[in-house]
Amino acid sequence: MMQVEPSPTLATDALDLSYGTRRVIASLGVSLPSGQVTAIVGPNGCGKSTLLSGLARLHKPDKGAVLLSGEDIQRLPGRELARKLALLPQEAVAPEGLTVSELIRFGRQPHQGWLRQWSAEDQQVVEHALHAAGLEALAERPLEALSGGQRQRAWIAMTIAQQTPLLLLDEPTSALDLGHQIEVFELVRHLASQGRTVVMVLHDLASACRYADYLIALNDGQIVAQGAPAAIVTPALVRALYQVDCTLITDPDTGSPLLANVRRACS
Amino acid sequence: MPEHRPQAVTAPSGYWHIAWRSPWGNACSVLVERRALVVSTGLCVALLCACVLYLSLGSMALPVSAVLPALFGRGEMISVFTVQELRLPRLVAACLTGAAFALAGVLMQTLARNRLATPGIIGIDNGATAFAVASVVGLGVSLAPPAMALAGAATAAALTFGLVAGGGTQGYRFIVAGIGVGAVFGAVTQLMLARVAIDTANAAYPWTVGSLNARPGGAVALLAAGLVMGMIAAWMVARPLSLMRFKDATAYGLGINVKARRFQVLMLSVVLTALAVAVAGPVGMVGLIGPEIARSLSSSRQVPLVASTLAGALVMVLADLAGRTLLAPIEIPVGIVTAVIGGPWLLWILMRPQRSHA
Repeated sequence: MMQVEPSPTLATDALDLSYGTRRVIASLGVSLPSGQVTAIVGPNGCGKSTLLSGLARLHKPDKGAVLLSGEDIQRLPGRELARKLALLPQEAVAPEGLTVSELIRFGRQPHQGWLRQWSAEDQQVVEHALHAAGLEALAERPLEALSGGQRQRAWIAMTIAQQTPLLLLDEPTSALDLGHQIEVFELVRHLASQGRTVVMVLHDLASACRYADYLIALNDGQIVAQGAPAAIVTPALVRALYQVDCTLITDPDTGSPLLANVRRACS
Repeated sequence: MPEHRPQAVTAPSGYWHIAWRSPWGNACSVLVERRALVVSTGLCVALLCACVLYLSLGSMALPVSAVLPALFGRGEMISVFTVQELRLPRLVAACLTGAAFALAGVLMQTLARNRLATPGIIGIDNGATAFAVASVVGLGVSLAPPAMALAGAATAAALTFGLVAGGGTQGYRFIVAGIGVGAVFGAVTQLMLARVAIDTANAAYPWTVGSLNARPGGAVALLAAGLVMGMIAAWMVARPLSLMRFKDATAYGLGINVKARRFQVLMLSVVLTALAVAVAGPVGMVGLIGPEIARSLSSSRQVPLVASTLAGALVMVLADLAGRTLLAPIEIPVGIVTAVIGGPWLLWILMRPQRSHA
């Protein structure tokens, strides 16, 4: 089984991110645990997708920095960053007619060049990515012919082919039904078990509790709580984030917190 | 990678894999897409046939067997004169303008992620027309129309870029600014044509529809040089370009400097269009038809740059041939032929059922 190199650390230092004049993330400092799955959760508009864009250098900070192994990512060349950190944006779209293996091959881009277009390593990594995502049988199918879950796994396979120790996913399950969501989450857990650091934005707190090792709860651009789900998720936190009341119970099989009897908070 | 497990490389399906070792010991490898090679070869052959037909047909028809000797100065003097002096320069202009319009078109369509985009949407064609018409109707300018067309294209592009200064070259702002600039230049052209004597307006007419009648030598030479450099530049950005068909975030995540690349490709498209407009006037339709033919023949693995360029030249040659011969001795400007034949044909391409990928 293919192992990735030991994860570099990803952290932010007094990070400010804005859209125009609107400050979305203010003076945020966080360190993402290496080799684990971190979920960024919070209400709509709290800045979680913006934070992920900032971590991937899609969004230039006003102040502060994103640090990859202690180095400001603004100073890294694009290709070097793309060999360390892969990003799956929300609702990714591909050119019409592209097949699964063609999509995955694009993930090799940061490792290739004009006179290095295809090597034994490329081939091996693409085959591994197909295998890891369980898509071998569908390799030559066009993406349009796949189910939502299969298509999302193909996109994740493209980021696997990028062979990065860090993987950022923006709402990887947002348009999927329950079965397809589980397919994707189990693939994410599998990738983390090989030593990758995974950071994903999730709008569903229940899935975050079940599949993440570490939660970062964001509200209004500020971190309101961070830590293991079982340690930080409380009815008070749920109420602060989403204005709902709930009863918390512990999943008898996994030990992760479960939200029950969720209802609008009576103020 | 475990060193002890060497694995033979097989090319991905649909490709030839060529690997060698450089004199410095580096392993080199390139992938050649089979379909792209077949399509380009086919288009090359079709273009050559069209060129021979173009040289042979006309008010004085020559047998195909006489065309090649005449091209090299053999045979009857009148055939040699017809081929070398009358038809060949026009054929060269047709090939070059068609290729440049189509290459500029496929670049713009890839940037805009819209198969109906052409450099015309940012006002280049109208700017070139307005300046060329101004030169013909004699608004106190001493430059020849082609030079003015080039200046007009540059002015329109600069205005569009200037109006969205800081807003980037992406999205609606840019297109809206371009449409606005184009509309202003279009109105100026109409105003000038309405205010001059009918004979002068007639003289300016080819510049409003696109024609290969004038073919100024300097502009053709400039276009030839620009096209060669443009093709090399396009070939160099081919790999990032195929990733820019994805969302910006995806391309960026794969290490592409999207902003810089977009600007480079846009400038390339603008320059190619400006040089072509200076020779033939606004024949923007070729920028849609050429790439559309190329896409319908090619796979979606990469952006069909070579096939689009060849298809554009082919379309332009055939359209001008039709314009010269269909209603002879009356000559139809090539811009009208591409619009009359190309328009409905393009509609059919866009509305026919999608090809299946199963």
